[in-house]
Amino acid sequence: MSDLDKAIETLRNCRPIPEAQVREICHKARELLIEDGNVVTVSAPVTICGDIHGQFHDLMELFRVGGQVPDTNYLFMGDFVDRGFYSLESFLLLLCLKVRYPDRMTLIRGNHESRQITTVYGFYDECLRKYGSANVWRYCCDIFDYLALGAIVLGASYTLPPPASPDIELEVRNANNSIMSNFQRHPNSINKIKEQDQSRQDEMMATNGAGEGSGSSPGKTGPPGSGASGYSSGSVGNPAGAVLCVHGGLSPLIDTVDKIRLLDRKQEVPHEGAMCDLLWSDPDEIDGWGLSPRGAGFLFGADIVKVFNHRNDLSLIARAHQLVMEGFKEMFDASIVTVWSAPNYCYRCGNVAAILELFEDNSGLGILSRSNGDANRSDGGPRGVLMENELAAPHLGPARRYRVFQAAPQDSRGMPAKKPVADYFL
Amino acid sequence: MSFSPPPPPPPASSSSGQRKTNHVTANDEPFPSPSSLSSATVSHTQSNFRISYRKLPILKAAPIEAMSTRLGIPIPEMIFGDNLASITHLPTGWSISFTAEPALDQVDKTGSNMLRVAYAKEWSSSREKTSAGISEVVKPYDWSYTTAYKGDETIAILPTSTNIPQEQIPTLQPSTSGAQIPLPLLQRRDPILFAQEVVLYESELDDNGISILSVKFRVMPKRMLLLSRLFMRLDNVLVRVRDTRVYVDFETDQVIREYTAREEDFEKVRQGLVMQGMPPAEVTVALRDANQVVGLLKVVEQTVEEVSLKNYFSGRNSDGR
Repeated sequence: MSDLDKAIETLRNCRPIPEAQVREICHKARELLIEDGNVVTVSAPVTICGDIHGQFHDLMELFRVGGQVPDTNYLFMGDFVDRGFYSLESFLLLLCLKVRYPDRMTLIRGNHESRQITTVYGFYDECLRKYGSANVWRYCCDIFDYLALGAIVLGASYTLPPPASPDIELEVRNANNSIMSNFQRHPNSINKIKEQDQSRQDEMMATNGAGEGSGSSPGKTGPPGSGASGYSSGSVGNPAGAVLCVHGGLSPLIDTVDKIRLLDRKQEVPHEGAMCDLLWSDPDEIDGWGLSPRGAGFLFGADIVKVFNHRNDLSLIARAHQLVMEGFKEMFDASIVTVWSAPNYCYRCGNVAAILELFEDNSGLGILSRSNGDANRSDGGPRGVLMENELAAPHLGPARRYRVFQAAPQDSRGMPAKKPVADYFL
Repeated sequence: MSFSPPPPPPPASSSSGQRKTNHVTANDEPFPSPSSLSSATVSHTQSNFRISYRKLPILKAAPIEAMSTRLGIPIPEMIFGDNLASITHLPTGWSISFTAEPALDQVDKTGSNMLRVAYAKEWSSSREKTSAGISEVVKPYDWSYTTAYKGDETIAILPTSTNIPQEQIPTLQPSTSGAQIPLPLLQRRDPILFAQEVVLYESELDDNGISILSVKFRVMPKRMLLLSRLFMRLDNVLVRVRDTRVYVDFETDQVIREYTAREEDFEKVRQGLVMQGMPPAEVTVALRDANQVVGLLKVVEQTVEEVSLKNYFSGRNSDGR
C-alpha cells in the first residue's frame, strides 16, 4: 500500500494526516492542477456535486449513494470547507483522491476556497486546532489558488441507461436507489432527437463511412476545448450542447466560455471582476442583470442564461452556492440547475442533499459528443447569431438523474449525540 | 431546434412561466409535513401556563415562494417557517408566540435603511468602468433581516363565566410599576424542567456575516424565562443584537416583556475584544458568538411591558388547570 493510499485510508476514517504529508500531497496536487486550464473538460459519465462544507460524514454518505471513487467519476463544484466540523478531512480526502485518480475526480473552486473567507467561517480555526499552527491552512489555501474555475462536461446522453424508458428526461432517486419520481421529455423534443439522430447518422455514413474517429466510441473524439477541436471559436460545438459547471454563476464580463479561459486564476479570489462573479453570482427571477441589494455581487435572469447557453452551445449550466431544500433546483426552463450536496446543512437545517448524474452517450451516433466544427453546419442554422425563436427553443438537455440523500446517521459519526447541558441564560 | 420544457410538461412554455414547482414529491417525504405540525409540537404545562415548541426542517421551495410573495421580500435561505415557541396562560387563553413569518414581516421592505457590505464601495467603483449598464439594485430591502420582533400576543376566547369587557382584556402594557425582570432569581440554579432553543431564521448574508433569530426558553418550578434574540453581524461594518425577554412568574401569573436593541460598529466591537486581552485568533471566534459581544454593544432602545393575568379569573386558583 502506497503512502497515498494509506493517507486516503486514514482520511476515510476521518482522521487528519501528518503535516508533512499534507505538504507533500499539496505539492503533488499543485503539479497536477497547474496543468489544468481555467475550464477543465470532463467526459460523461460523471456525477456532479455541490457544496460539502466540511460535513465529512455526509460526504461519506454521498459516496455510498453515488458510488465510490474510482468506480464513479465525480465533479465537485467547490465549497469543500468551512461551517462543518471536518473541513480539513473532507478537503484533504478529495484532494488525495484527485492525486490518486486524476481522471476520475474534478475539483473546481468555490467562494469558500479563499484565504479571507476561511479565516472567518471556520477552516482556519479548524487547522489551527488540529495542528497547532496555520501551516496546513496555508498549504491548502495555496492549492485553492490552482483549482479550476469551471468545467465543461461533454458527451452526456439524452437518455437514461436502460431499463429506463428512452423518453425519460429526468429521474429522481432516493438513497436506496428507488425511483421517487420521473418526468418525460416533451413529445416534440423526442421527435427532434429522432430527427437529429437520423440526420447525424446519415451525415456520418456519408462523410466518415464507419463513423467519426474510432467508430466504436465516438464519445471520446474531439471534445470542445481540447486543442484543435475548433471549440476555441466559441461559436461552434456539439449540436446538443455541453454542460458548464461553475460554483456561483455567470458574469456580465463573460459572454463566452473562452473568456473564462483567459482569466488569470492563480490568485486569491478577488472582491470584484469576472473571477469573483463566477464564484459568487446567483440566478434570480429578474430580467437581465441586477445588483444584489447587499451592494456587491450580481444576479442574473433567465434571458442571460439562455443567451449564454445559446452562444456557447451549452444545454445546461450546473452550479452550486445556494442552499436548496430539495437538494436541487432547476430554473429557467431547465437551462440552469443548482445542486446542493450538504444534507442537514450546518447540522440543523434538516434539508436533503442531491447529486446529479449525467450518463455517457452510448448510442454510437455521438450526436451529443461530436464537436469537430462541422457538426452543426448541416442544419444550416446561423450559429453565433441569436434568433428570437431560438431563445424560446434551447438546446435539448441531457438526461438527468438526481440522487437525493439525507444526512449520515448519527451512529456513523463515531460520536454520541450531544446531550444538551443546562443553559442558565439570562 | 425544438424546445424541451421541464417536467411535468406544460402545454407550451411561456416567458412568464418561470416559476417552477419542485420535482421532489411527497411520496418519500423524509420529514414531517406541515399537516403534521400539531403532532410535532411539544408542550409542557407548569402551573397555569403551557409552554410549547416545534422544531422542524427548513421550508421547501414552494412554501418559501408563497411566504416571499406574502411578505414582498426574499426569504433568508435558512427559514424555519414551521418552528414555534409559545407561552399560553390556560385560564385566560392569553398567549405569546414566536414564529418566523411575522418576525420577517417587520423587516424593513423599502430599502431606506439598507446596509452595504464592507467592500461595496470598492466593488462599485471598479464596476463603473466595466459594467456601467448594470446599476439597478434588485428588490431593495433590509437584507440584514433586522427585526424588532417581540412576539405575537393573542388572546383566545376567555372562559364565558369571566365576562370581561373588551377594554379589560389582558394585554402587555408599558410598565408603570417599574417592574423589572428579577435577575437574581434567574441566576439561581433552580432545576430546569423544560428547555429548548428554536431557530426561526438564519442568513449568511452571502458570506458577509450572519443574521440569526432564535428563541430559547427555560422553565423552572416557579418561573420561566424566554429570550428571543436577533444577532446580526455584518463583517467589518456593524453588529446588532435585538433581545426580547419574556419572564413569567408562575406564582403571581405576572408576565414581563423586555425589549432591548443594541448595536455598535464592527471595529469597535473587535477592538473591545482585543482590549479584553483576547488573542486575534480567538477574536474571530468570539465575533460569531452573540453572548461574547453583547456586552460591548451600546443600548439604543429599551422598553419594558407587563401584564398581570391573575385578576382575570377570580374564583379559580393556580391549580385550576
